[in-house]
Amino acid sequence: MKIKLKLIAVTTGALFYGLGVNAQDGEALFKQTCAACHTVGGGKLVGPDLQGVNKKRTEDWIVNFVKSAADFGAKDADAKAMIAEYGYPMPNQNLGEGDVKAIINYIAANSPTEEIATEGGAPAEEIVAEPADPALDPANASAEDIAFGLKLFSGENRLANGGPSCLTCHNVEHTDLIAGGLLAKDLTKVYERMGAAGLNGILSSPPFPAMNASYKDNPLTEKEIFQLSAFFSDASVNNIYQKQRAYNDNLLLYGGGGAFATIAIVIFFLFLERKRKCVKEDIYKRQTKAASSK
Amino acid sequence: MNIRSQISMVFHLDKCIGCHTCSVACKNVWTDRKGAEYMWWNNVETKPGTGYPTKWEDQEIYQGGWEKNGDSVSLRGAGKLKGLKNIFANPNMPVLDDYYEPWQYRYQDLFDAPEGDDQPIGRAVSLVTGEPMEVQAGPNWDDDLSGTPDYARKDVNFKNVSAAEQDAMFQLERMTFHYLPRICNHCLNPACVGSCPSGALYKRGEDGVVLINQERCRAWRMCVTACPYKKSYYNWSTGKSEKCVLCYPRLESAQPPACFHSCVGRIRYMGVMLYDADRIEAVASADEAELVDRHLDIYLDPNDPEVIKAARANGVHDSTIVAAQKSPVYKFVKEWKIALPLHPEFRTLPNLFYVPPLLPAMASVGEDGNYDSVNETLLVGVEKLRVPISYLASLFTAGNENKVIDVFKKLHAVRVSRRNSTVGDVSEQQLNTCMNEAGFDTHVANAIYRLTSLCTYEERFVVPAAHREESIEMLESAHDYKGNTGFGFKERPARGL
Repeated sequence: MKIKLKLIAVTTGALFYGLGVNAQDGEALFKQTCAACHTVGGGKLVGPDLQGVNKKRTEDWIVNFVKSAADFGAKDADAKAMIAEYGYPMPNQNLGEGDVKAIINYIAANSPTEEIATEGGAPAEEIVAEPADPALDPANASAEDIAFGLKLFSGENRLANGGPSCLTCHNVEHTDLIAGGLLAKDLTKVYERMGAAGLNGILSSPPFPAMNASYKDNPLTEKEIFQLSAFFSDASVNNIYQKQRAYNDNLLLYGGGGAFATIAIVIFFLFLERKRKCVKEDIYKRQTKAASSK
Repeated sequence: MNIRSQISMVFHLDKCIGCHTCSVACKNVWTDRKGAEYMWWNNVETKPGTGYPTKWEDQEIYQGGWEKNGDSVSLRGAGKLKGLKNIFANPNMPVLDDYYEPWQYRYQDLFDAPEGDDQPIGRAVSLVTGEPMEVQAGPNWDDDLSGTPDYARKDVNFKNVSAAEQDAMFQLERMTFHYLPRICNHCLNPACVGSCPSGALYKRGEDGVVLINQERCRAWRMCVTACPYKKSYYNWSTGKSEKCVLCYPRLESAQPPACFHSCVGRIRYMGVMLYDADRIEAVASADEAELVDRHLDIYLDPNDPEVIKAARANGVHDSTIVAAQKSPVYKFVKEWKIALPLHPEFRTLPNLFYVPPLLPAMASVGEDGNYDSVNETLLVGVEKLRVPISYLASLFTAGNENKVIDVFKKLHAVRVSRRNSTVGDVSEQQLNTCMNEAGFDTHVANAIYRLTSLCTYEERFVVPAAHREESIEMLESAHDYKGNTGFGFKERPARGL
């Protein structure tokens, strides 16, 4: 109850006094950590639209969900249903309770009151957020862009700011790619799952801790994001024709076979030099023959 | 000049009766231990024969000794690069079967066996595994040409002997063989020392005895393959290699080694030689044709004042110089030139010289099947020998037959000269011819005869004492040492002294 009162007080405070200090922090934090997957009133991206979430859920609920959606989902039926709806739990966010509260304040400040929300009409129309620049829509990508995206993914072409290539941690089933890393999710169908806007969000400010750490100091450029998205789009569409180049067992076979052959050749040459039999072998053989013919 | 003293040896093969007393003496003194049973630091081989270990002379198999490499020599089977290549396995190592598996008989069974229909037997038991075994080979299995098709006909020295000559050697009633006693040659250019990766082998400065430091030996066994005479053996029990030590504790007290001392035929001579160590590399890398001559040139005249002065300057003791002047080896090798090194082509410059066996053909079965003497006179010349000169040349002169013939002419001249003075049935013309061919007079012939046949212990063995009593003064007080010798602690007590 106390929390609710507090929440109302803060919300109204924010409404009345505009963007406070907390709210300003909240905005920065939201853009940095949430905006990749969520909007406030902008419709569903990768995750749900967070408009009005401050009313829908208690603050504790939100804090727990943000800390570890997977763990919380095991305990809470609502959370579980939410995860089931979006297919996978939200990545754990390394945010303090204060940070989460700041973000909730920001969301609350940007959420219209209930009356306005109901008057606002169907948000379903806005479900797919289009990228601002139509030239950067992966649907408009040329074959070169797709090919370049593939090279960026595989690391054949370095990323402009020196970030690690995607293949290190991710896998995409594609004829021209070897099996990628297993650290992070398989990205074969990522375009279907997240869409252009989702990819754009994640790639421009990665919300996943490991990915965030990797690209914090060397972010992807807008062009690269577009090319990668084009590649992902192509990979997910043409997935049925793209067989992964399966090196798995063959690599072992080639490597092991090569090592075996090398060792065998070395042993063979050493063996060539060896004194291979006892100098008395023919004498012994004759003795044995004579003994057995008796 | 870098004059050093070297204890050297001569074996007179005409006198060897192949009794193996030397081998047994050595075995009893040195190698009657676990892991050393198969070692024969001294062994006696029958020639033609394959020797011990079997075919030791065949360096195609064992890759021992040195080979000429420009103005120097390099080891045939060892060296930096070859050593690295063979770091995990020495590829030309003789195996135990190349020697033989040592055994002992279970004699106690003869006494303990329960009563039965059969005579109890003492079974052969391997000294390596302890299991009963079938004896297949021994250290002198080819003794006296037994098992000839297996051993004698496979002699490595038959390379340059024609098939007809070989056949003649093995015909009944024409057969010929001689004995070849072998010990470590304590070479001037030892391949074993050169091959050891651990630096465990060394050649003693004072008398040139080649020894293996048992503390430093790391069981590489490079010396086992590198020694072309196969006189370094690996002790499988201690994990160290061992070789003939020339009974150095005896040498140091001016006694000859056990095998020399025990020799029944008195075929062995021992003495000091002075040589110029600066010339070793040049001599070892000489062309094969002049190898023997160059080798003998390295030994210097111990009566030459220059040599004596240089020897003294190099720390050679006066008693050693005096011994060198009286050395019987010097007489055989340098003065009379009737002793030759064994297999000089291995380029190790061995210090054991052999007077080759004259083996005159006295009689043989002719084409008509009758047994008859081969010559009108009793003493046949060098031309009618049973043993092909090419065979002996392969043994002693790296194929140079003239050198063997020269020696035989001298040995023959001594016999003719002695026949003349004891029986007197030799014509003056024959005597003169022989003496001219030999290149010496009856005085020398008598001297050779004396040292060959009537030699005393002191004449055969001129070994200078090592003067340990003097050398100890450099390390401790001789008075204290004398007062304490034979008493004291092997390990000092923990409380201190």
